[in-house]
Amino acid sequence: MAQTTHTKPITFGNNNVNCNNTTGSYNTTVYNSDMDARIMGWLSPLEPDNRHHGVRTGRFEGVGDWLLETREFREWRGGEGGADKAVLFCSGDPGVGKTHLR
Amino acid sequence: MIDKLCDQAREEDLAVAWLYCDYKAQQEQTLINLIGAILKRLVGSEIPEGIRKAFKEGRRPLLADLMRMLRIAIASLPPVFICIDALDECLPKDLPQLLESLRDIVRESPGTRVFLTGRPHVGEAIQKYFAKAVAIPISPSEDDMRNYVEMRLDRDEAPEAMDNGLRAEIVRIILDKMSNMCVGLSTLFTVYTY
Repeated sequence: MAQTTHTKPITFGNNNVNCNNTTGSYNTTVYNSDMDARIMGWLSPLEPDNRHHGVRTGRFEGVGDWLLETREFREWRGGEGGADKAVLFCSGDPGVGKTHLR
Repeated sequence: MIDKLCDQAREEDLAVAWLYCDYKAQQEQTLINLIGAILKRLVGSEIPEGIRKAFKEGRRPLLADLMRMLRIAIASLPPVFICIDALDECLPKDLPQLLESLRDIVRESPGTRVFLTGRPHVGEAIQKYFAKAVAIPISPSEDDMRNYVEMRLDRDEAPEAMDNGLRAEIVRIILDKMSNMCVGLSTLFTVYTY
């Protein structure tokens, strides 16, 4: 699965300064990725990607396919109803397989 | 579910962020860390200059900082899907504010879609913030259960000890027990929902 799920870069405010990325030297690159890692850790120490990987490996194809076929899911997915219908809530007691819906 | 959206994201230009709440990790799954994790995911590998600047200021981000950065991020992205699993396992004191934050995000960017899972009781809290949220009760179908049992049997480390007759018998008995005993579902599925 792709680590990046969107393709458009985000621009925040003044984007004229592309810090530390102009020389392209090996050291700069290392510094940048280390810096990026620190910024990511600063945003949040949580790593949902790790958990997702664990869930993926414990799942099997087809569970919950029916959900994708429901009118509720299709309407929600299609963005119909705007903000009012922004939330789809799958409810169930522990262990019914909500985490592994596919 | 997340995979499905990610597959579609590749084809259709969507952004997907996900969180798994876990009562065992409640201490670190604070509201601020959860919102930060959504932002982190959406930002991906292209850290925007605004976030770099805020980081260089050297203080811990406040919820308001993260929400501001998140709003900017979402506004510049294709439709964003936020998936939060096991919402009932997030810190009870943080749940209202998490839902409020999601509501603020959705109000500002109405194209944002929020997918939540949780025990039925958390539906009441969701409804306070999203009066028109659509709830779908989940229970595994017999096909799902059959497939699951078959998969586990396929993974048996000593398959030679089980012939087709025994295998069919195992499947039949488990499904039979399951249909008589809903509570047993958790026993069967805990194996892989941990």
